[in-house]
Amino acid sequence: MKTINLTMKKETSIAIEFDNVLPEMLYDKSQKEIEDTVIYRGNKEEKLSDYFDIEVSGESENSDDCTIVINGDLSRVKRIGYYMSGGKIIANGNVDFHVGARMSGGHIIVNGDAESYAGREMTGGILEINGNVKEFCGASYAGEWRGMSGGRIVIRGNAGKQLADYMLNGEIHVNGNCDILAGVHMSGGFIQIDGNVNQWIGGQMKKGTIVINGNLEQILPGFKLQEIIHNPFINGKYFIGKYHLYSGDKGVKGKGNLWIKE
Amino acid sequence: MEYILKNGVVFDPKNDVNGEETDIFIRDNKIVDKVSSDAKVLDVSGKLVMPGGVDLHSHIAGPKLSIGRLYRPEDIRKGVRAAPKDEVSGFEAGFSLPTCPTIGYRYTKMGYTTVTEAAVPPLEAKHAHEEINSIPNLDIPTLTLFGNNWFMLKYVKENRLDDLTLFISKWLKLAKGYGIKIVNPCGSEAWGWGKNVDGLDDPEPHWGVTGREVITSLTKVNERLGLPHSVHVHTNDLGHPGNYETTLETFDCVKDIKKNKNVDRNQIMHCTHIQFHAYKGTSWRDVSSGATELIDYINKHDHLTCDIGQITFDETTTMTADAPMEYDLFRLTGLKWANKDIEVETASGLIPSIYSSRAPVSVLQWAVGLEFFMGVRDPWKIALTTDSPNGGPFIRYPKIISWLMSNEKLQDMLDNEVHNWATNRTDLGTYNREYTWDEIAILTRASTSKILGLEDRGHLGVGAKADVSVYDIDVNDFDPTLKSNSSVIEEKLLNSKYTIKDGQILVKDSKIVKLVKSNHIWCNVQGLEKYEKTLEKRIKPEFNKYYTIKYENYGVNDHYVEPETRINIKYGGESFENN
Repeated sequence: MKTINLTMKKETSIAIEFDNVLPEMLYDKSQKEIEDTVIYRGNKEEKLSDYFDIEVSGESENSDDCTIVINGDLSRVKRIGYYMSGGKIIANGNVDFHVGARMSGGHIIVNGDAESYAGREMTGGILEINGNVKEFCGASYAGEWRGMSGGRIVIRGNAGKQLADYMLNGEIHVNGNCDILAGVHMSGGFIQIDGNVNQWIGGQMKKGTIVINGNLEQILPGFKLQEIIHNPFINGKYFIGKYHLYSGDKGVKGKGNLWIKE
Repeated sequence: MEYILKNGVVFDPKNDVNGEETDIFIRDNKIVDKVSSDAKVLDVSGKLVMPGGVDLHSHIAGPKLSIGRLYRPEDIRKGVRAAPKDEVSGFEAGFSLPTCPTIGYRYTKMGYTTVTEAAVPPLEAKHAHEEINSIPNLDIPTLTLFGNNWFMLKYVKENRLDDLTLFISKWLKLAKGYGIKIVNPCGSEAWGWGKNVDGLDDPEPHWGVTGREVITSLTKVNERLGLPHSVHVHTNDLGHPGNYETTLETFDCVKDIKKNKNVDRNQIMHCTHIQFHAYKGTSWRDVSSGATELIDYINKHDHLTCDIGQITFDETTTMTADAPMEYDLFRLTGLKWANKDIEVETASGLIPSIYSSRAPVSVLQWAVGLEFFMGVRDPWKIALTTDSPNGGPFIRYPKIISWLMSNEKLQDMLDNEVHNWATNRTDLGTYNREYTWDEIAILTRASTSKILGLEDRGHLGVGAKADVSVYDIDVNDFDPTLKSNSSVIEEKLLNSKYTIKDGQILVKDSKIVKLVKSNHIWCNVQGLEKYEKTLEKRIKPEFNKYYTIKYENYGVNDHYVEPETRINIKYGGESFENN
C-alpha cells in the first residue's frame, strides 16, 4: 500500500487544478517525480511541491493500492479526483469545484464541504462528502443532457440546487436537507433524501426513483398519487414508515417514482 | 518560391493522370511546366499525390455554428488537444462543432484547401465572414440562402424575373456570396406560421408560391446571370419517409431550362445531401431505400449533380435552415432543440443527432448514402460530403473513403457491425464496387471543383492553383481493398504528409508549419449596376419596413472579406432596357 501525504504549505487565491494528482497517475512514481508533477495555477504551470509538502510511504503495484491524503485549506483546489478510475483520495478540508467529476472508479472522501459540480457526470466509484455540497452535485455540466450515470454519492450534510440534474443511473444519498430542483430531467437512478426538500423536485423526470424521508414543501402538479404503502421495499432495502408513491412527471409522459414519507 | 514535388504517384483525373510517377512543378502560387535550378526539391517518391481537396458542401461558419457551440458544450469538450509545441497551430476543441481555428487546422491536415460554407442568410453574412476570418488556411466560397426570401417570393409570385435577376445579382454583392442556395423552398418560410410544405407543389401559406416555382425561377436566374456554380438545392421533405418522389420531381422540374453557354460546369442544378432525400415508405416503421430510382435518374440525365451527405455513426449535430425538419427531429428524439428566425429570409434549427450502427434508421441512412456511391456510374456527377456536421463531421471523410475502397471492409460491416436493415431494406449488399484512387480524387477534388465552377483548382495542370496534397501512402505497395488497411487509409488521409496551398507549404510531415488567412471567394456580376440601383431604390422602403436593421447597415463591407477572390462575371443575358 502506497500512501502519498500532501500538506498545503502555501495559500493561494487563484485556483489550483488537481486533475494530474490521481492514484492511477502517481502510484508508480518516485518521491521526486511526484514533487515534479505539473499542476496548473490559473493558466500557469507549477510543480506540486511548490504548494504542498509531500511525504510518500510504501509501494503499490496498481492504482487501487494507492491512497492520496490531502490536508490544509483546499478551498481553492479544484478538480480533486477528476476522471479518477481507481484508488483512494482523502481530502481533509473544504474543497473547490468538480471534486470527483467524471470519476469512473475508486473512492473519494471529503472531510469538509464541497463546492458546486461535485461528482458531476460520474460513471462509477464512491464519492463521500462529510459536509455540505453546493449546486449541481451528480448533475450534468452546463448545457449537457447527460448527468451522473453510475457510482454512488453520499452527502452527510445538505445539498444545493439541482442535485442530480439529468441523472441517468447510480445512487445519491443525502443525509441532510436539499434545495430546489433536485432530480430534474432525471431518467434513471436513485436518490434518497433524509431531510427536508425545497420545491420543484423531479420536474420533467422520465424515469428513476426519489425517496424523501423529510418534508416536501410543494409537489409539482405533474405527479399523481398512485398508492400509499407501509414499509415499502425500494432499491434493495426496506424503508420503515408510511410512504405515498407518486408517479410523474406527467408533463413529459414520465414514469418516475417519487416516494414521500408521511 | 519554387518547388519540385519529385517522383510522387500522381492522381489528377481532369488531366487524365492516373497514378503516374511524375514530378509537379510549382512557381509562386501556380503549377508550371518547369522551374529554375534553384527550386527546392521535395522528395515524395512513391507517395500519393493529389490536387488540394475541395469540399463543396460543409457548414463551417455563421450563426448556426455559434448557436450550436453555445448549445452543445458537451461537443466542444470532445477533441480537446493542447497546442502542439512543434507546430504553429493552437489548441483544438470540438468534434462536430469545432472552434473556428480548429476547423482550419483539421481541414489543412486532411489536405483540403477549399471548403464551401453551404448556407449563409444575407442578414447573417457579416457574422459568417467574420468567422471565416478566424478560420485559417482555406479558400471559402459561401452560398447565399434565397429559397425562402420574401423579396424573391414576391418577384416569383408576380412573375417578375427581371427584378429577381437584379435582386440576386445585388444581394450576392451585399452578402459577398458565391452562389444561390435553396433550402426547403417555401417550407422554411411556412415555418413562420408553424407549418411546412408537403412536396414541390404545396403553396406556402402567405405568398401562395410553390417550391417548384421557386426552384425553376432561381435556376433560370442563375443561368441568366451565368454564375459559375449552379443553384444548390436542398429539396423539400428532407428526412421524411416517402420523400424520394419529391426528389425525383425536383430533379425533373429544371431539365428543360437552358444552361448558360459561358459556364464550364455540366449541371444546371446541384442537389445536396441526396441521402436524406431518398426514402420510400409511409413512416419510420416501413421506411426503405428509394435510392435505386434516384440513381437510375442520375445515371440517365446530365443536367444535375449531387453530393451524398453520408452518415458516419457518430454523435453529431444537425443544423439547417430547414427549421420545420429540425422540429420533426425534436418530436422524434426529444433531445434539446434550438430554433432561430432569420426575419424575412429564412428560418433555422439545430438539434443533436446520435447515429448508431445498431439503430435501424441510422443504418438505413448509412446504407442509402453508400448506395449512391456504388450505384452512380459516373463519379463526376457526385461528391463526397457528410453535409458536415449533419451526417457526421468532416474528419470522417477518410473513414468513408476506406469503406468505398474496400468491399471486404464493407461486407464485414454488413455482416457483423450494422443492423440488418442495411441488407433487408436497401440494395447495398448487391454492390461489389471498389473505388480506385483516381475515382477518390474525382469525388474529393475534380468533380467538386467542376461542379462549383472553380476551374483553377481540383487539378494539377499547368496554370492551376498550386494546391497540392501528398499523403504518406506508398501507392504501389499498398492495397486499399484489404479490410486490414482501412484504418491505415483513415490515419494517413487524416494527416497529410504535405499540404501545399497557393505554393506555400502549410503542412509538412503531418505537422502544421504555416498559417495563412483564409480567402473569401465571391461572385461580382458586372454590367447591371445601373439597374440594380433602380431596384435598390424600390426595395429600400420595403426593406426598412420589414427588417430590424437599416439597409445601409445590411451589406458586408469590403474590409470583412480580406483577402478575397472576387470573381467578376460580365453579364451577357437578356437586356434590361425596359426595366
